[in-house]
Amino acid sequence: MLAEDDHRQDSIQAGRTDTQHGRSIDTNDAANIVLFLAAFLGLWQLVVALHILPDTLFPSPASTAASIGKLVANGSLVIGILTTLWRLVAGFAISIVIGGAVGLAMVKFRAFGKTMSSFAVGLLTFPSIAWVPFSILLIGFNDFGILFVVVMASVFSVMISTYSAIRNVPPIYFLAARNMNAKGMALFRHVMIPAATPSLIVGIRQAWSFAWHALIGAEMLITTLYGLGHILSVGREFIDMNQIVAVMITIFCIGLLFDRIIFLRMEEKVRTKWGLNQHSGE
Amino acid sequence: MALTDSQYEGYQEKEHEQDLDNDSDIISSTPIVQVKQVFKSFGYNSNSSSSRSRSGSKPSHEVLSGVDITINRGEFITIVGPSGCGKSTLLNIIAGLDKPDSGDVSARANDGLSTVRGIMIFQEGALFPWLSVQENVEFGLKIANIPKHERTKIASRYIELVGLTKFSRYFVHQLSGGMKQRVAIARALAMEPEILLMDEPFAALDVHTREMLYEELVGIHKTTNKTILFVTHNINEALLLGDRVLVMSAALRNIRKEFAIDLARPRDLESPELYELKRQILVELEGDLQQVASRR
Repeated sequence: MLAEDDHRQDSIQAGRTDTQHGRSIDTNDAANIVLFLAAFLGLWQLVVALHILPDTLFPSPASTAASIGKLVANGSLVIGILTTLWRLVAGFAISIVIGGAVGLAMVKFRAFGKTMSSFAVGLLTFPSIAWVPFSILLIGFNDFGILFVVVMASVFSVMISTYSAIRNVPPIYFLAARNMNAKGMALFRHVMIPAATPSLIVGIRQAWSFAWHALIGAEMLITTLYGLGHILSVGREFIDMNQIVAVMITIFCIGLLFDRIIFLRMEEKVRTKWGLNQHSGE
Repeated sequence: MALTDSQYEGYQEKEHEQDLDNDSDIISSTPIVQVKQVFKSFGYNSNSSSSRSRSGSKPSHEVLSGVDITINRGEFITIVGPSGCGKSTLLNIIAGLDKPDSGDVSARANDGLSTVRGIMIFQEGALFPWLSVQENVEFGLKIANIPKHERTKIASRYIELVGLTKFSRYFVHQLSGGMKQRVAIARALAMEPEILLMDEPFAALDVHTREMLYEELVGIHKTTNKTILFVTHNINEALLLGDRVLVMSAALRNIRKEFAIDLARPRDLESPELYELKRQILVELEGDLQQVASRR
């Protein structure tokens, strides 16, 4: 009764932003995607049909599809995908654990944080493929050699984003929480981590893409028996362009799947909850 | 302390029957907060976050110089002063979020022994955006390890007190400025503090919403009998709400003058008493401004 007018205004405002929840791919989007794919395949077929490039070096959509079928049938593609994904997940998990821990230590010990962050930024720009010779000699042609490169490619990104995400949490959250008796572990769990989550997710998404780039490169150079990068190299050795393009498409699809389905979803969810989408989302 | 609906709704009517003399007798008997000779500087070695950016080159800068304040139980104190005069620092020190360089701050419970804690209500942006209204109000109770069903009950009661029951599942960004401050008030009250410390809580709100919240705050003060320390740069606000108005000075870095207001609330700014008080406060603040200017 007291604040009825205010409430009415309030609920109007609240209602407006409420409609932005639960966004999903609508039919319009789906139609656009189909149209784009059709145009892409059409163009590809056109280039093949015009015989601009030698047939052996420029495969047609049909022969590429046949190659995918062959690779699936003999099992090498499935095993390759699983091996690569396993390396990706393992390497990325190691990066998150190490990068997260060092990042937290950097927040805790300020002098260490300052020096370590410039060091880490230097290593962030360091091309991950340049770790390969080092890794081959130190570890050898095996899974661990590949994992080493993947970790080196992504750990610094996790480290830096953990460090900066926590440092950029508005101090007022800590003031308010401390005023309500939160300290130590409770402050960490209930304030620091959730407050840093939106920028942490952005950093982790970037780290994932670094890990993915490095992994395929490392798989091509550090020869083991399995993995998508390995199938790619085999394709080159046998001058089998169909196989190369087939694997490239697989790699593209996996990348897209992870980025769009997992990371983007996660980011969207957090941003919507926080109300960070209100201006960009329309 | 349980609040019944009838108490809450009835406060407006009771307002006019208030017996001021009787009230102030109870009040003056027990000081709840005593600030004695508090000095505070921000300087080179300060690790306060607010001075982080400029601490590098500037020499130490004194913000509080020997501040003495006594606040009685149940009193509604407003502190008014220009921006940068140290009001917020004083509040932070009383809240225990900052330490004085020297001097003593004590906040004592009724028995005179155990210390009580003041809960802060900030200007804006102190609600947690990753939590719903309900979860925000429950935050302090969760930290205190109060079981789930109990804290839901307590939080719901205070959400109802500020009239936001319908919105308890909303997230912070879905609320208007006025609703956010109501949530902040509910969150503070859920901690059942003896002292509410308010740092320009309504400064970012429009006039209409602000007036509504004055009314609600006066009601809450009356029903809960909390001690309230309310910092503002808005003289009208200070006059409408306070039992005592402390004018803080940027030149002295201390309380410059104190005005007691023995008028029932809701008050009328147009009344001759308040008009006269406002004039006197403006004279004080004007004098302060000149003093600061002449020093440069």
